[in-house]
Amino acid sequence: MIHYRLAELAELTRHLGRTRQVWQRSGAKEWCQADASNPPPLEAGRSVQSAKGFFFAEQEHIFEFDGRYFRETLPKPAPFALIGVSSCDLVAIAYQDQFFASDPHYQARRQQALLVGLECTVPCEHGFCPTVDAGPAARPGTSDLVLHPVGNGWLLTVTSEQGRKSLQGLNLTTAPEAMKQQRQAQLADCERQFPDDQHIRDGVQALNAGTVNASTWQQMGVQCLSCSGCTSLCPTCSCYGVQDQSADQTITRRRFWDSCLYDGFQREASQHNPSDDAGARVYRFWYHKFSDDFRKDFGRYGCVGCGRCEATCPGVIGIHSVMKRISQHD
Amino acid sequence: MPGKQAVQTICPFCGVGCGMHLLVDDQNRVAAVSPQGDHPISRGKLCAKGWSTPFAIEPGDRIRQPLIRTDDGFRPASWDEALEVIRYGLLDILSQLGPTAVGVISSARASNEDNYAAQKFARAVLGTNNIDHCARICHSPTVAGLKQTLGSGAMTNSAADIDSAEVLVVWGADATENHAILGGHIIEAKLRGATLIVVDPRRTRLAKLADLHLQVKPGTNILLVNALLHEIFRHGWQNQDFLDSRCEGADALRKSVRDTSPTQLADAIGVPAEQIEAMARTYGQANSAMILYGMGITQFVSGTFNVMALSNLALSCGQIGRPGTGINPLRGQNNVQGACDMGCLPNVYPGYQDVADPAVRQHVSDYWQCPLPDHTGLTSMGMTQAALRGEFKGLILFGEDPVVTDPDQNEVLASLKALDLLVVAELTMTETARHAHVVLPAASFAEKNGTFTNCERRVQRIHQAIPPVGEALGDWQWLGAIARQLGSSSLDWTNSQAVFDEMAGMTPSYSGMSYEKLARQHGLQWPCDDAAPEGTPTLHQTEFPIGRARLIPVHHVDIDEPADADYPLQLTTNRLHFHYGCGSMSRKSPLLERETPDGILFISPEDARNLRLKNHSAIGIRSRRGYLETRAIITDDLPPGLVSMPYHFSEAPSNQLTNRAMDPVSKMPELKVCAVRITPLPEGQAPRTIQSIRASAAPPSARENS
Amino acid sequence: MTSLTPMVAELVDYYDDGEAARHFQFRLLDQQQWPPPEPGQFFMLSVPGAGEIPLTFTQLPDQNQHWWALVRRMGSVTSALFRLEPGAILGARGPFGRGWPRPGSDQTPVLLIAGGCGLAPLVSQAERLLEMNLGPVALIYGARSPEARVLGRERDRWQHKLALFEVIEQSPGQTARRTPLDALPDVLAHWGHEPGATFMCGPEAMMTALSQRLIERGIPPSSIWLSLERRMHCATGTCGHCYLSHRYVCQSGPTFGWPELELLMQQPVTTQTPPLLSC
Ligand SMILES: Cc1cc2nc3c(=O)[nH]c(=O)nc-3n(C[C@H](O)[C@H](O)[C@H](O)COP(=O)(O)OP(=O)(O)OC[C@H]3O[C@@H](n4cnc5c(N)ncnc54)[C@H](O)[C@@H]3O)c2cc1C
Ligand code: SF4
Ligand code: SF4
Ligand code: FES
Repeated sequence: MIHYRLAELAELTRHLGRTRQVWQRSGAKEWCQADASNPPPLEAGRSVQSAKGFFFAEQEHIFEFDGRYFRETLPKPAPFALIGVSSCDLVAIAYQDQFFASDPHYQARRQQALLVGLECTVPCEHGFCPTVDAGPAARPGTSDLVLHPVGNGWLLTVTSEQGRKSLQGLNLTTAPEAMKQQRQAQLADCERQFPDDQHIRDGVQALNAGTVNASTWQQMGVQCLSCSGCTSLCPTCSCYGVQDQSADQTITRRRFWDSCLYDGFQREASQHNPSDDAGARVYRFWYHKFSDDFRKDFGRYGCVGCGRCEATCPGVIGIHSVMKRISQHD
Repeated sequence: MPGKQAVQTICPFCGVGCGMHLLVDDQNRVAAVSPQGDHPISRGKLCAKGWSTPFAIEPGDRIRQPLIRTDDGFRPASWDEALEVIRYGLLDILSQLGPTAVGVISSARASNEDNYAAQKFARAVLGTNNIDHCARICHSPTVAGLKQTLGSGAMTNSAADIDSAEVLVVWGADATENHAILGGHIIEAKLRGATLIVVDPRRTRLAKLADLHLQVKPGTNILLVNALLHEIFRHGWQNQDFLDSRCEGADALRKSVRDTSPTQLADAIGVPAEQIEAMARTYGQANSAMILYGMGITQFVSGTFNVMALSNLALSCGQIGRPGTGINPLRGQNNVQGACDMGCLPNVYPGYQDVADPAVRQHVSDYWQCPLPDHTGLTSMGMTQAALRGEFKGLILFGEDPVVTDPDQNEVLASLKALDLLVVAELTMTETARHAHVVLPAASFAEKNGTFTNCERRVQRIHQAIPPVGEALGDWQWLGAIARQLGSSSLDWTNSQAVFDEMAGMTPSYSGMSYEKLARQHGLQWPCDDAAPEGTPTLHQTEFPIGRARLIPVHHVDIDEPADADYPLQLTTNRLHFHYGCGSMSRKSPLLERETPDGILFISPEDARNLRLKNHSAIGIRSRRGYLETRAIITDDLPPGLVSMPYHFSEAPSNQLTNRAMDPVSKMPELKVCAVRITPLPEGQAPRTIQSIRASAAPPSARENS
Repeated sequence: MTSLTPMVAELVDYYDDGEAARHFQFRLLDQQQWPPPEPGQFFMLSVPGAGEIPLTFTQLPDQNQHWWALVRRMGSVTSALFRLEPGAILGARGPFGRGWPRPGSDQTPVLLIAGGCGLAPLVSQAERLLEMNLGPVALIYGARSPEARVLGRERDRWQHKLALFEVIEQSPGQTARRTPLDALPDVLAHWGHEPGATFMCGPEAMMTALSQRLIERGIPPSSIWLSLERRMHCATGTCGHCYLSHRYVCQSGPTFGWPELELLMQQPVTTQTPPLLSC
């Protein structure tokens, strides 16, 4: 792995901006397109929305139909770089890369992206990435480049071939050993500052052991307002709905983010609904994130420890609330 | 792909006023929304409706240009042409019948700026006080009741008080479905240790989580309050200091509840006396107790008295004027508070300044530099009646769909048909717009700047994120264009800030506000004036607007239409989390639409069994006023004898059935209870929409197996 | 990559069956080819403008890529399909999912059980069994009423080749409801064989109850196969709607062996039991 010292972040942004669109987080903690010649300051921590929508779009067209032929409407984005993706979100992208490996729409976008990670030096509110092996250090194979703030500058680590190529033409000096050591120290320090996560470990164990009784899930089902907040913000949630729309002579089919917490998610035309119990739906969400069954398929849990669900759930059944409840079951 | 830019704004759906960012893509579409983490109320959360905002404002079926009615529908027209038709129409009516024959119905969904413009247009341009908006359907009894007892009809406290209250009383309000984010605060408070008491005939979500659920019979609110007061006075739990120093009428109130003990009234109320006693003990002894109420209080013939009863309860225990207390109406639409504040009511100018007061009128007339009418204005219902009598001929209406939401759809339809000129400005072709002579394309909240005032009196900025669709204009803009057609420059503002500044200059409670100041804080709560430059989270801390608060004894009023042999079930109405108002926005989301695809009726397992209904059975439902078909959903959230219908669906509008008997004070119709009869439809027969029931020649009674 | 965009297909022919069901013949246009489907697999039919639904083959595609499906009119897409006439242009993707296991080459008696339109996915399996002409085959067919029965031509054709037991849920003069579950003991007694393989399709509650009943009778769980219904929007294992535990029915199913299904159905919160027979 090659490590560089980067004095000015803007240098990198300007360089990448020559060949790609550059996206960074705005002051509102949302991903916005940045002016590469005059980029906003880079902030670490969690953005409100993860980078999910760059690849699995909130809404997109699948095809157009003109009355005789179907024309697949694959996106054709220009090459782009995401600068400042947190470690947990990098892991989430890697997770979705697996899930959507054969999805042409996802891959059309994904292949155009350069991922520049940004490691956290302090835990974020509700975050617990160390518990689920997703941070604070960027995990191998999840990025192209990784930034870590050291002193007044940055340690820039090249983590992929694409990353290496993206730096061609940029004059960089190799980072001194001390910088690398400082990164290690800062990461270790950050990790130590995370609050106690015993409730999550216990909760995951209870969930997998099947010792959480139905009424606990059902009580939480009462609290679920089916707002879709958790599934929208969770960086590994991937369900979608589809709908045909007609305009003039053209019919388009679109897909859009859906949520397994909706009562209608599995309801069939006959009104039979395999998950008509709100408690069953809440269970489903957590089973998807933390069951060993999925872990076997994906090589890791479906949760990357970002804490967004805790922050956004109006019914107080985000990660910490749920894990506390199910780890204390009778 | 996520937005190129994130534009901060306020959710357009309900009165909670959550903060969100609109994520705008490179084609100027709102691709997604994102919750605003540092917003004081929503704190990074949104409800299902908020999350579905991109669908709601999708350009798809938006009205893009003015439409003029032809013999067989509408034809697109230019703004000039449309304005011309409106001008001739209005001048015709004005010259024949004068300004009492025209009026404006504004929208609790539009911005303050739009509403200010609407009432100014009515008064200064048309010369009429015939101006109203839809608050009548929601909270007019609140205004009428609290005005008498406290002197102000708004929520006394703030959303943040939910966090500090020791006891929360949720009365006739389904907060998690209608005001979901506040509902979430209540769940959070309950989990944190607050005591939650729910009074509701239905087992609502909050009722399931509550420490105490009083599942009362519909229409027994006053009985319950009086029983609570009896118990409170008997034990000396009243706040005597507060009664002595801040209220009047305590003795009379005390006397009036001498014979209303829980034991005496338990049967009539429908809950055990012990529950009433427990509630009295909890509320009466709390350090801070907050009452939140909704349409389960207001939508009765006793609506105003119900509100006054709650006021008696809060005042007797001194649970008002401090953080974590108060009497707090949960208002429906995003800007219903603002529409009232702006004077979109026939009897008041902005800031509730009395139209009937000559000094006030003179003052406003000087400020606007035009003469003002002194006749009594008509409410929306008054306009309907006058139209049916042929005395009212021209109506300008925006952002409302009374044909779907009004309690008496048939009457509203007839009155609209009696008009010579109906102008409707809308986002999409609503049922009401279909009857217009001219339809104007209105800009959505994402397409304009302005302010909304939420239910806790917080005035917040909305920011334009995308250009208006087609030729759409903001409401104050097209109202200004009509004014200019009529030769008036009263509405010639250059931008929404100019409208706001003019409004703040004449509205005492907004006088300390400006766009800059609103941007600095996350909005400001009125009154915001010299005395309170940072706004007022808690009202009535030292004094009431009327000096001392009034305790006014109230007595039980029977519901107008109890169940009987012919109509053996009671019907109540409810709202669903997923939908909002008439559904014209929320039903555009395929996800929310999937949640409840057909209009539905909720029914208890017992009643379902008696009627041999299965879940999702097709049924006919008849009241003395109308007939609908829909599907039944069996749920033990309802007690036997009571069925419930949401009112969001134009194919099965529950207002076909509801009672038109009114609260004599506020004219609020008794929407919360009427008598109905339910008959299963033959197996395999799908429910028909109201439209096809109307179209079918066969009288529906022929199809019933009675 | 698995595309979500369908191939162009044409509605060739149709005829009505039962109360609200219709047989449709489709074909792929433009010389497109599908890999040969197995009995029990399904395809996604697009009615442009209305949406896309999963349907099973009642007759597998021939060399000319013509095939048949039986469709019950339910909601938006099926209703739109019922309004179409031959020549209409549609979209089709497939084949998807895991079909019924191939019958072995022994003389094992095979039991087929279908409820309502659940007979559709068993048709091509039955045809295959009868063609191979191995052991005895029985079919228990449950329907809500005599009028609601479907696939009359096929049942006629099978008359002398398999033992057919029809069970009508509600018929005049019959007081109690009667489902294939109620009929099972009588049928097995009458047929005189113990099934070595059972294939069934119908309402989920009916199938689980039947499976348990068969197992109680000593029939090996691994010889019982069920075809499941779930809401489906992609058939590629990505939309998530058809989830069943950590599997997606569109890919791991729709047919499951009982031992696998039993494991997948274990979850702490189960839903209310729907009626045994409704379609
Ligand atoms: C593997 C499989 C094979 C099937 N084979 C047949 C068949 O051969 N004949 C037949 O009549 N029916 C079959 N069905 C059921 C059929 O797919 C549904 O009846 C149909 O989707 C209803 O669509 P709709 O638009 O009319 O109903 P709506 O209620 O309007 O449904 C809206 C949408 O939801 C989805 N949906 C709703 N119910 C189902 C469901 N039960 N299964 C899958 N998606 C659903 C569809 O995308 C549909 O477009 C099969 C289902 C599955 C899963
Ligand atoms: S489950 Fe919650 S904490 Fe885990 S990745 Fe999803 S949103 Fe983040
Ligand atoms: S965020 Fe909470 S309330 Fe909303 S859908 Fe998820 S679990 Fe339910
Ligand atoms: S149908 Fe989409 S995952 Fe199975």
